[in-house]
This record gives sequence, structure tokens and C-alpha cells, in this order.
Amino acid sequence: MAKSRLLSALAAEKGVDVKKVLQKRKQKETSRRKRREGLPDTRNLKKPQQKKKAQPEAELESDDDDEDWEEEEDSDSDNDMSGLIDDEAEEGDSDEEESDEEGKLDLAKFEHDESSSESEVEMEAKIERPKKGRQATDLPKPKADKSQLRKAAAAQSDSEDSDPEEDSDIDLEDLEDLSDAEREDLVPHTRTTINNHTALLAALSRIALPQGPSVPFATHQSVVSSKPTAEAIEDIQDDLQRELAFYAQALEAAKLGRAKLLKEGVPFTRPNDYFAEMVKNDGQMEKVKARLVEEATNKKAAAEARKQRDLKKFGKQVQVAKEQERAKAKRETLEKIKTLKRKRSESGAAAGEREAIDFDVAVEDEIKGADKKRAGAGKRDGPAAKRHKKDSKFGFGGKKRHAKSNDAVSAGDLGGFSVKRMKAGGGGKGKTTPRLGKNKRKAAAGKR
Amino acid sequence: MAAVYKSLSKATGQKGDAPAEGIKRNKQRVLILSSRGVTFRHRHLLNDLASMMPHSKKDAKFDSKSKLYQLCELADLYNCNNVFFFEARKGKDLYVWLSKVPNGPTVKMHLQNLHTTEELHFTGNCLKGSRPILSFDATFETQPHLKVIKELFLHTFGVPQGARKSKPFIDHVMAFTVADGKIWVRNYQISEVEKTEKAGEEEEKSSKAKSKLGLKDTDINLVEIGPRFVLTPIIIQEGSFGGPIIYENRQFVSPNQVRSELRKSKAGRHNARAEKQLERVVKKGDLGLRSSGPRKAPDALDTKQVFA
Repeated sequence: MAKSRLLSALAAEKGVDVKKVLQKRKQKETSRRKRREGLPDTRNLKKPQQKKKAQPEAELESDDDDEDWEEEEDSDSDNDMSGLIDDEAEEGDSDEEESDEEGKLDLAKFEHDESSSESEVEMEAKIERPKKGRQATDLPKPKADKSQLRKAAAAQSDSEDSDPEEDSDIDLEDLEDLSDAEREDLVPHTRTTINNHTALLAALSRIALPQGPSVPFATHQSVVSSKPTAEAIEDIQDDLQRELAFYAQALEAAKLGRAKLLKEGVPFTRPNDYFAEMVKNDGQMEKVKARLVEEATNKKAAAEARKQRDLKKFGKQVQVAKEQERAKAKRETLEKIKTLKRKRSESGAAAGEREAIDFDVAVEDEIKGADKKRAGAGKRDGPAAKRHKKDSKFGFGGKKRHAKSNDAVSAGDLGGFSVKRMKAGGGGKGKTTPRLGKNKRKAAAGKR
Repeated sequence: MAAVYKSLSKATGQKGDAPAEGIKRNKQRVLILSSRGVTFRHRHLLNDLASMMPHSKKDAKFDSKSKLYQLCELADLYNCNNVFFFEARKGKDLYVWLSKVPNGPTVKMHLQNLHTTEELHFTGNCLKGSRPILSFDATFETQPHLKVIKELFLHTFGVPQGARKSKPFIDHVMAFTVADGKIWVRNYQISEVEKTEKAGEEEEKSSKAKSKLGLKDTDINLVEIGPRFVLTPIIIQEGSFGGPIIYENRQFVSPNQVRSELRKSKAGRHNARAEKQLERVVKKGDLGLRSSGPRKAPDALDTKQVFA
């Protein structure tokens, strides 16, 4: 409220009718709205005409491009002029005339290009272009019809060259104009590949060295392999396979080249007494050699180490086998002694006792000596034996308490009880066999 | 006497020239140079290649990367009709330009997997300036752009007959192979070894035939010399360092793009993480678990409310 009052006061001062101003504003707003609503309609109307309209639009837009082209073309024509001169300068150029013609044609074409604005480069033409060259030449290019095939190709190459810049322009602008429905239909326009076969071949023919069966091999020394090397390579990441394929290709070429050169009488093999500077100097070769030697020594050392390791493993086995053998030998000798003893004792019973006793003593001594020897050998682990004794005496490991007290099993065990003895009375033994004589006892012991 | 000698020598000279007269003489000179900003490996590769090309002229680094057409004038000054130009970008990417000077064509290629001769430690070696046998893959004959590239290789790497510093014997092969859309270049020494005897009679027959031809009883082995590299063709221009583009390789992805993709993927990971973190904070706030976030509306059935 306060604001309106202020406004009216201001208006009164300035002498302007506030209401009128407000009305004007409203009118403007409504008109704007109408315009907004109306616009899509008009656009829809335009759509069918769009393709026709595209041309003038392109013309408008392409003004800048035209300037660029002119610059390019200028430089191109300069190049061609220089090319003309150079071509003439080249000695014995077989395609001199050709290049001359080309230069003229190009010049003519450039003139034509400059005179008529190149705005005719249309979307349709460009989309069709990737399919390939010849079709594109059919498209309406007023003067292209008259001109020869080559000129057309050249023109085409030119139009293709200007592709990248143009594409971006037209694409963007078209996208803005299109409605949503049409945008959906639109395939995203990608940059066309440039691969102008005619121009490439023309360039090739311009520079190509003479080749063929009539040309001596020694002039160019180039060999093309009989089949593509890529076929032999299954996986390009596989180094060995790849290098092998390259090697095979080079070897084929070398063999073929050698045969041809020798046929032509060109010296091929370097004689042994021909010394000259090499690509790799002696220092470098020395390094290579040193590296090779180092590699070899490393390999040798590794082999040696492996051998040692294997030997060590094998050595252990040998040791075990030896120990077993020793034990076996010992057992055998003991057995032998025992049998000897038995025989001796049997025969000794028949012969004099004394001898037998002597012999026995000798044998016993022998055995004892062996035992002593063993003990001597055992002395090495003397402390361990002592320890063992001590452990058994004072205890080591496990519980020592209640070891001798009865438990359920031992209490129920009647192993040591005999009813006979109990009935016979305390300590009284039944009839016992009288003790045999000493000799007999000994004999019995020997038999056992 | 002198006149007689002159006339005689003229006659013999004509005889000697006669076979070469019908055909164009292969006369090539190559200007080898690099742009500024090449790394040492690029430089070494350039030296390796230059040492194998006696028909080349090595020049100082070229200053500009945008005004390459100046190279034409430079080549003209040195009387060269080929230019072999290393363009280094960002101190890591190497582009190779091969051009016929006065009026094209020009090929631009991306050089990858570069190993110089010194790095490779191969045992092969060859005479400096001996003429190589150029071995091309059969694929080179299939497409026009490959044909053009082959021709350019032939002019640049092939040492013309009778080049000034060339040696009279042939002892190495240069192999160009198209595989995986790229051109792989290898360099081998030809070493001749005694032929290993296999089956008697056939060998004898063939050896007799060969001895008639003047071949010795030797077999050929190849030993690699180096360098190794891989070229990806990018464009072919009609002119020399200029003119319309007549071929463009769509399969080629620029190393810059590769790097940027890598960077983006890395950045993408971080962004995803950051977003998730933010989401969690918001979610916690919504649940009223954060002191600073909006308080959860008091629930009527909350224990605090019920037993208030």
C-alpha cells in the first residue's frame, strides 16, 4: 500500500499516468506469450521446407568457410604451380605430361571454385560419401558433369578435405532446428573417413620408381613378400610368434634378393679381407660380446648351483643307505658269533671243558669289547644319558604324584595271586625239581 | 691420340649407360632432422637410421613445429628430395613425417615401441652404408595408402645405386610389416653360413645347378641388428608438408587422448568415492544421527514421548 502511494505521488510529480503504464506492460506481456505459443507452429510449417531452406542457410553460414577455402586454394594453386616447374625440372620424367595436365586442370577447377560459392555442399552428399567416391560424383555439381573423371575426383577430394570444418557447423545448427521427434530419428553424424583412392594413386604415380620385370633388381632392391605376414601372426602380443613371422618375411626377401642380385652379377658377399666402418663400432660390439659372455657365465653358475643342490639331496640318501648297511653288517656278525658259540658249546661239551671255557671267555670278551666300543661311541652323547638317568630318578615331564597308588584296575588285578600257593601255606613250595648241574644248565642256556 | 681416346671412352661410356638410359635413374637424397624437444632415445634412433642411410643429410634440430612447410625450402637448400622428420611432442610422443619434397605426398606417422640399436644388444652388424634389401609385406600392395607409404619407404630407406658413400656389398635386410594396423620395422644382417648337408643326391643336383649360376654352397641366416620401432600412419597429405589430406586413419587414437582417458578414469574413481561420502553424510543427517544435521521430528510413539 505504501508503495502504491509512493508511486502515485511520483507519477503526480512527473505527470505520467501510472495506470496507462501498467496497461502497456500487460500488453507487452500478452504479445510475448502469443509469440511464444505461435513459434512452434510456424516451425512446424517450416519443416517440410527445411531441406530447401538448408541451402541458403548454408550459404549464409559458409561465408566464413569460403574465405578459408579461398586461402587454401590460393596456397594450393601456388603449390601446383611450383609442382609444375619441378615436374619439368625432373629429368626423364615419364609422367611429365600427365602432371602438366593435372596442374592445368586443377587451376581451372580452382577458378571455377572461386567463382561459384561452394555452398552446394549439402548434408545428403556428405552422408553418402563414406559409401565411396564414384557415387558422390553423380551428385549435382553443375560443372562437374562436363569435366573429366579425374577432375571430378580432384573436386571431390577438395570437398572431402573441407569436411571436418563444415560438418561441425551444419550438424550443430541442424540439431537446434529439429524438433524432438526428428532428433530421435537422427543418426549421430560422425566424421567421415578420408581415404581418397584416386588422389592417393595419382600421388603414387607421380613419385613411383619404375618397377617391373624389365627393371634391374639392383636399382631398387625391394621385395614384396609372397603372402601377407599378418596371416602368420595369430596374436600380435605374442612376441616370439610375431618376431618369427617378421624373420620369415625378411629371410624370404633376403634369399630372393640374393638370387636376383647374383644373377645380375652384383657383388653380394663381403670378402673376408674387406674391412670398412660398420654400423656398430667395435666398442659397441665389445659390449654386446661382454653381455653375451656374462649371460653364459650366469647360466653356467646357475647350472652348477643346481647340480650342487641335487648332489646334496642325493648325498643324504647315500648316508642313510650307508647307515643301514652298517647296521645290517653288525647284525650279521653278531649272528655269526652266536652260531659259532653254539657250535663251539656243543662240540665243547664233548671235548675238553677248559678249552670251551677259554673260548667262551674269548668270545665274551669280544662281545664286551664291541659293547664297550658302542659305549665309547655313546660317550659322545654322554651328557644326554646322564640327563636321562637323572630324569628317570627325579622326574621330568608328566605327573609324579600317586604314581604308585592303586587305582580301580590295579586293585582288581589278580594277576599275581595263586590259589595253590595260598592253600599250600605261607611260603611253602610244592615239590620242585632238583637243580641241575652247572654244565647242564649252561648247555640249556645255550640251546635256548 | 687424345681425340681417339676421347672417342673411344665416349663410345664405351655410352655402352655402359645404355641399360640405364631407358629408365629413370633412382636418385634420392634424404634430409634427416628432428624438431626440438626430442629425448635422447629419439635422437639415438635418428642416429641409428642416419648411419644406415649414406644418401642422407643430417641437419640441426628444426625450431618450429607449426611451420613445417619451411622444411621444403630447407630440403631444397640441401639438394634433398626427401625429408625424414622427427617431431617430438611433450617430450614423449614422437611423430615421424616422411615427405617427397617439391610436391608431396607427405605421410605423418606415430612412432611407438622404440628400441635403439644400442639398447637391444643384438649381435648382428653390417657395413655402414651398405645397400639394404627392403622387404615389404604383401599387405602393402593391397591398399592405395599403403602403396604410397611403401613408395615413400622405398625412397627414404632404400639406398640408391651408386650413392656416394655406399658400400658395394649387400649385407642387411630391412623388413616392413603391416600387422594390427601398424607398420613394424626390423633390421637384420644377412650372414652366409655353410650349407648343412641333408639328403645326398638332391643337394648335389641343386648345388650343381647353383654352381652353374655362380652361387656358392651357402645358406642364409639372419641376425637382427636393430633398431626396432612401430609406426602408425595418421594422415597422408597430397602436398609436401601441406595440401589437402588424402588419407586419414580413423583407427588412430592420439596418445594425448589415451592419457586423458586414463586420468579421467582415475578422477572418476575419486569422484565416485567423494559422492558416496557426501551421500552417507546426508543420509545420516536425515536419520537424525548427526549433531549438526536437522533434528528428527519427534515421534509420538517414541519411548521418551510416551513416558514423558
